[in-house]
Amino acid sequence: MLRIILIAMLFFTTVAKADYILIVPQKPSGGTSVWSQIVVAEWEKHLGEKIIIKYLPGARDQMGPNKFQNELRFDDKTILVSHGGNGISYLIEPVEYNYLDWDSIGHMNLNIIVGAQEQVANRCCQKIKFSAGSGMIPEIMAITMLMAGPEMDPYKAFNEYITFVKGMSGSERRLAFIRGDLTATRENPAAYKKHVMPLIEKGVAMTWFHHGILDTQSGNHQEDPNFTEPTFEQLYFNMYGVSASGDFYNAYKLVKSWRDSIQKAFWVNKGNPNKQKLIDALNKMIADPESVAAIEKKVGKYEWKVGQDGNDTVTLLKSLITPEALKTLVDFADVELGYNSVYKEELTK
Amino acid sequence: MEIVFLLLGVIYGLIVGLVPAAGATTGLITLFGIMPYFASDPYLGVIFCVAVVASSTTGDSFSGVLLGIPGANSAAATMVDGFPMAQNGEASRALSAAITSSTLNGLFFGSLTFLFLPYYTNIVMYMGVPELWGLVVLAFVTVGFVSTKNYIRSIIAIVLGVTFGLVGVDANNVARFTLGWQYLEDGIQILPFVAGLFAIPELWSSWKTRSATDDVEYWYGGTWKQIKQGIKDVFVSWKDSLRGGMIGSFIGLLPGLGGAMADWLAYGSTVASNPNEKFGHGNVKGVVGAEGANNSQKASSFIPTVLFGIPGAPFAAILMGLFLYLGIDLGSPETFYDDKLFDSMAFAFLVGTIITALICYVLAYYSSYIAKLPYKFYFPFILIVIVWATLQYTGGWEDIAVLTIFSIVGIIAKKYKFSRPALLIGFLLSDRIYSLSYQLTSLHTMNDLITRPIFLFILLSIIIILYWSLTKRSKLDYA
Repeated sequence: MLRIILIAMLFFTTVAKADYILIVPQKPSGGTSVWSQIVVAEWEKHLGEKIIIKYLPGARDQMGPNKFQNELRFDDKTILVSHGGNGISYLIEPVEYNYLDWDSIGHMNLNIIVGAQEQVANRCCQKIKFSAGSGMIPEIMAITMLMAGPEMDPYKAFNEYITFVKGMSGSERRLAFIRGDLTATRENPAAYKKHVMPLIEKGVAMTWFHHGILDTQSGNHQEDPNFTEPTFEQLYFNMYGVSASGDFYNAYKLVKSWRDSIQKAFWVNKGNPNKQKLIDALNKMIADPESVAAIEKKVGKYEWKVGQDGNDTVTLLKSLITPEALKTLVDFADVELGYNSVYKEELTK
Repeated sequence: MEIVFLLLGVIYGLIVGLVPAAGATTGLITLFGIMPYFASDPYLGVIFCVAVVASSTTGDSFSGVLLGIPGANSAAATMVDGFPMAQNGEASRALSAAITSSTLNGLFFGSLTFLFLPYYTNIVMYMGVPELWGLVVLAFVTVGFVSTKNYIRSIIAIVLGVTFGLVGVDANNVARFTLGWQYLEDGIQILPFVAGLFAIPELWSSWKTRSATDDVEYWYGGTWKQIKQGIKDVFVSWKDSLRGGMIGSFIGLLPGLGGAMADWLAYGSTVASNPNEKFGHGNVKGVVGAEGANNSQKASSFIPTVLFGIPGAPFAAILMGLFLYLGIDLGSPETFYDDKLFDSMAFAFLVGTIITALICYVLAYYSSYIAKLPYKFYFPFILIVIVWATLQYTGGWEDIAVLTIFSIVGIIAKKYKFSRPALLIGFLLSDRIYSLSYQLTSLHTMNDLITRPIFLFILLSIIIILYWSLTKRSKLDYA
């Protein structure tokens, strides 16, 4: 009997040791959690090994990346998935993690779309009611610039034209937009199709703008083939006849790029011996039409950047962190949005 | 094949519903790993998942009634009269009344949900920020004034509960009430809070009175009679049951309010509707009223989930993820016209509820012996489960420290009659009242508010309840 128990224990501990662990810094019902569950199911097939998901949400979803940085990354079988909010926190909050200590396995380069009620979109000087949340900073900065134009101080425009409504969950924000309590909202492409498109079809809302997709070579925002509406930059030019520029614009570009271009990203510690195996499996997954169809059907179509492409993206993102842009971002987040933000000079070096 | 997966879902759901630390949400999270097995027929997966929801909801009353430990937050209201009934030797009757009220309302409001699904859109649309704010205040008033005669202590308990609930970070990402302890920035976890508040004080009481019940009191017969009596109680108090069901069904429609609030409003309305009766000492009407809201709330939570893809409750968010895995995107136009999806959901919820009820009656017969067990048989087991479940958060000493702190709070609150349900409802709704107050003042002006009839109606209800409570003091003294 004892032998059977010992063999069973050995079997289970061997299995457990062989499994990869994916740290998800979010509650199980969150968007990145659901995304991870769906992608992992396909990734596992090509990896030939199990990937166990472990949720480590913590305050502002920082416990997972912090723990990964301080202890978990030294285990060769531990992977981290980060989301856009982690990218923003990295720029403006006193976090313990550092993307530069990690190697990218792969990530999705994402676009975010802003929808608005017909009566407020594309018009200057409208009172915009928009849901708050640190993940919304790029949208609120873009809307502020659209309201301010080249002449007005963005801070003044924010106070005059924008009601930043705090404390709404994603569900509440969506319902509030449908009800008309909020006059603008933002979503990723899959959620936009589901939550905003029906309102556009009814004629009560319209696509206001989208950010475009970051070109990881040039650092500029490219058009998104899925959306014919203008990007923020194009819309600004259409409205005012000049291109958006200056520190406020650079701060917008910085925070937008850090959030969206590594919106969903897999990481391991630098020098992890399993890195290539994980990259190969991810490449196989992307090349497998069945896996791609399964993922796209459930989470939408996004561009994958795998392996070195991911590290190149981080290098590009790092180059966007200039002292002026970072100071402006931190100042706006702190003074106008009320977030607990700190300027981290070390990021600019 | 459908019935096989329905049965499997019911059994699994019942198991997670019976475990004090688990519940529908926890039960559903663990299902992601088996979703690929439903690739060939996703509708079998739908049946399985919805059956888990239906059965775990009914099962969560057991530990509240038998041990005084709520199986889920929503089961705490049932416990107020259910636990004293068990202590008075009427465990089977209490459980039977709970199962019957929960099941009948689940079937009735579940049928209404699935039959008239598209017509609920307008109700959800009328309930904006001011109305939701009013409902949360109504819940505070109900639990603070109607559900206890010690309303000053109850108000203190609500304030304390809200304060504990606000520990973490505020809407500006600034640490709040954390006393510099970084661990608390993610807030106080629900499990050590509830276990500390309810489970440990009951275990403590059992420890103190252990000499009185040191041996198992075998007790034969009589419980089937109690089960019949419990069923009869629901038909006698049908108004309390139906009212509870209506309240649960309405609250379930509104995302973010949660089952605990539905059950407390239902319980409060039962107490208010029976002013000459004593509650908190084993009045079966208290069980019937609170449980009326239980399954009906889960049923109507499907409405915003299916219509808008907006989860009506935490379990619905997980369910949406599971369905996404099956290729079913709830809230999207494609699924809205998928008759087979709605048939599968309706079948699983309604038939699953019936099967669950039948199994629960049998369980109620046998599990009532637990109430007669001396502490030494269940004390170590429950303590181990609570500690294990608490440690699942970070696994560090901080988890145990928080559990210890709230165990002491629970023991003190119980001894000095500071309502623990009021503490719990304050804790659960703290974030809602804070956020909704913020949104109310950001989005609305006084001129705007006085033009909203539903908001005004809710305010009027609050005033009437306050007046009633202050002039005809509640006789309930559960703490």
